[in-house]
Amino acid sequence: MKRHPMLKYLKEKGPAGPRMPTIMCPGCGAGQVLNYTLHAVDDILREDGIKKEEVVFISGVGCSSRLTSHYLEFDSGWTIHGRALPIATGALLANPSLKIIVFTGDGDAMAIGGNHFIHTCRRNLNVTILCINNGLYGMTGGQVAPTTPAGIATTTTPYGNIEEAFDICKMAETAGASYVARWTTAHPRQTIKSIKQGVRKRGSAVIEILSQCPVHKKASAVDMLRELKATTVSIKKTSCQPKGKTPIGVFCDKNKPEWTEKYQEIITQHSSRENR
Amino acid sequence: MNRLYINQDYCKGCLICVDVCPKHAIGASDRLNSKGYILPDEIDMSECSGCMLCEMVCPDFAIAVETDEEAYRHGGET
Amino acid sequence: MGKESEKHLLSPGVYYLQGSQACTEGAITAGCRVYAGYPITPASEVMEHAALRLPQVGGRFIQMEDEISSASVLLGASWAGAKAMTATSSPGFSLMQEVISFAIMTETPLVIVDVQRPGPGQGYITTSQEDVMQARWGHHGEGSIIALSPASVQEMYDFTIEAFNLAETWRSPVLVMAEETVAHMREPLTIPPQNQIEILTRKKPQDLGIPPHSFLPYGHDIVPPMANWGEGYNVNHVSLVHHEDGNVTKYDRKTHFDSVLRIKQKIEGNVDHISRIETRFMKDCRHVVICYGSVSRTAVEAVMEARRECGIDVGFLRLVTLWPFPETKLREVVDNVDTVFVPEINLGMMKHPITEALRDRCKRIVSIPTLGCLHSPEMILSKIYEVAK
Repeated sequence: MKRHPMLKYLKEKGPAGPRMPTIMCPGCGAGQVLNYTLHAVDDILREDGIKKEEVVFISGVGCSSRLTSHYLEFDSGWTIHGRALPIATGALLANPSLKIIVFTGDGDAMAIGGNHFIHTCRRNLNVTILCINNGLYGMTGGQVAPTTPAGIATTTTPYGNIEEAFDICKMAETAGASYVARWTTAHPRQTIKSIKQGVRKRGSAVIEILSQCPVHKKASAVDMLRELKATTVSIKKTSCQPKGKTPIGVFCDKNKPEWTEKYQEIITQHSSRENR
Repeated sequence: MNRLYINQDYCKGCLICVDVCPKHAIGASDRLNSKGYILPDEIDMSECSGCMLCEMVCPDFAIAVETDEEAYRHGGET
Repeated sequence: MGKESEKHLLSPGVYYLQGSQACTEGAITAGCRVYAGYPITPASEVMEHAALRLPQVGGRFIQMEDEISSASVLLGASWAGAKAMTATSSPGFSLMQEVISFAIMTETPLVIVDVQRPGPGQGYITTSQEDVMQARWGHHGEGSIIALSPASVQEMYDFTIEAFNLAETWRSPVLVMAEETVAHMREPLTIPPQNQIEILTRKKPQDLGIPPHSFLPYGHDIVPPMANWGEGYNVNHVSLVHHEDGNVTKYDRKTHFDSVLRIKQKIEGNVDHISRIETRFMKDCRHVVICYGSVSRTAVEAVMEARRECGIDVGFLRLVTLWPFPETKLREVVDNVDTVFVPEINLGMMKHPITEALRDRCKRIVSIPTLGCLHSPEMILSKIYEVAK
């Protein structure tokens, strides 16, 4: 019997018992993003000669962050709400050769961790940030998030959201990330390709993945995925954005110096001197 | 003919795999797993092109398609 | 530590340094190679010196966007195998409490220096001992902590090295509860030869012959061996209640109780190995002054003056380690005294665990509080005289 090919990267059980199936609700987009990410990492390990132990996954807290809770057969950390990026920063400072992939959500990255998101991009630290955007706080019961569209009712906006939604990609690009893209869970091949580009990029790579929360949106995963396809438009296909549609694609892909590379120059210059 | 394998313990019955199948080779079955989720099943695997989209989109790592080539490589009968 | 970076350590000899600089030098000697910080008076000098010195020894320094991220950096750095430190002052220390709690649960070795300033609020920027309770009880949840209290420039160096050794030995966050007084003080610092300085590093599964497939990230021993990221052990750091293998799926009350108890007991149960006190004039004394940090510098003056000039038989006891609280050691040396004087640069904080330890060993416990400045010897002496004359 053939098993799912990505199970080779997952810890299905251990001495304390089984760890799978995952905690994700049926049809959750976070599980799909994990699947896409493992496909991308699988390709990179085969194509780039990178060792598996060089890849580290870090997350904060939230539905997206549960992906690193204990399923991965990789070095990983399931950390503090909003702080995955500073923790990734620390790991890079200790060992700049690590390939760090951060799973984060719209609440984790844009609200409680918003400042760290901005400054990680500004520093252009070599980390791949996969921001799973479901437009609400799923783990805690469907509250409004910085990415919830105006007008939407949630458990904490029972009369409708009066605030404007954040544009994660614009924020990332403005702050200085090397690579910025947006896809949806309904775009598996494009997302996998982007994750590969992001991991290969020296510098901060931000990939926002619009995702479905069938539980709190009270809809079927299949319908929500169809809607994600219908309400997004590739920036390649259109120069002017059709009203009401969210642009998807690679918004920014540039080469510029990365933090640890620049710091290495300081080390090289100042550690070669004799005793002070 | 390609073969479909469903891990009944992992499947949560979201049926995204069924929706993405471009050839309608798989569909919802009338079988439930122990948690009460509707399991996907083969409809006409002779239509399956082995694109692996169903494997790619599964949030729960519960589906696998074995192509003839894979089965041959693993020494099974085709 | 490679030879290349060793040559950039201070060579043995006597230096005239600020406490803050001595702290950074101690960290570097201990093997600290990642420093993250955020400016705050009166702790910024530790960071400025780290910014200068870290690249010279092949380490990395980063100024973060706040104290939360500064402390968070230490987690990632420690997991990736580095010894890491930050320094802050009291308001920043408040912000770091969640990270400290997380580090306790994930058993992450790291060092946080708190150069205490008065509060509440912005308070002031002078000296303080007002965070000594926050050090122990500021983080949410159970667990324990190690906190040292230096009183001189020399101890800012020595205790920072000790802090790293304790962090690595016990897989625990360790706090250096400095005060503005000691951080800004300048006095001679003696650097001993490198081979006379004890440097300890964490126990790794490789050292114990445990292969990746049988490695339990939270198992094997009361202080579990720690695998670094990047070494093929697929280690997952997790702060949800977990089993020895890191599994968080199967919650049960016993696992919860046992694992958190172990994390607390590895510190509290080894208090005699971890915590130190210093004593003078304790033999058959009728009264005792118990103090810590820079207050011990003026308190010992007051004690000597009281004995010499006033004929009051008063002993001196200094808490070198604040937490875990060295209760047994206190009870060993304090037996049947009249008065325990507790001078502190707060309104009476360590007085509480001291009272708990010695309530049956003395007639009264007298707090000598002050805020924002160090006690003068006269201030302590006058209280001793008033009560004990």
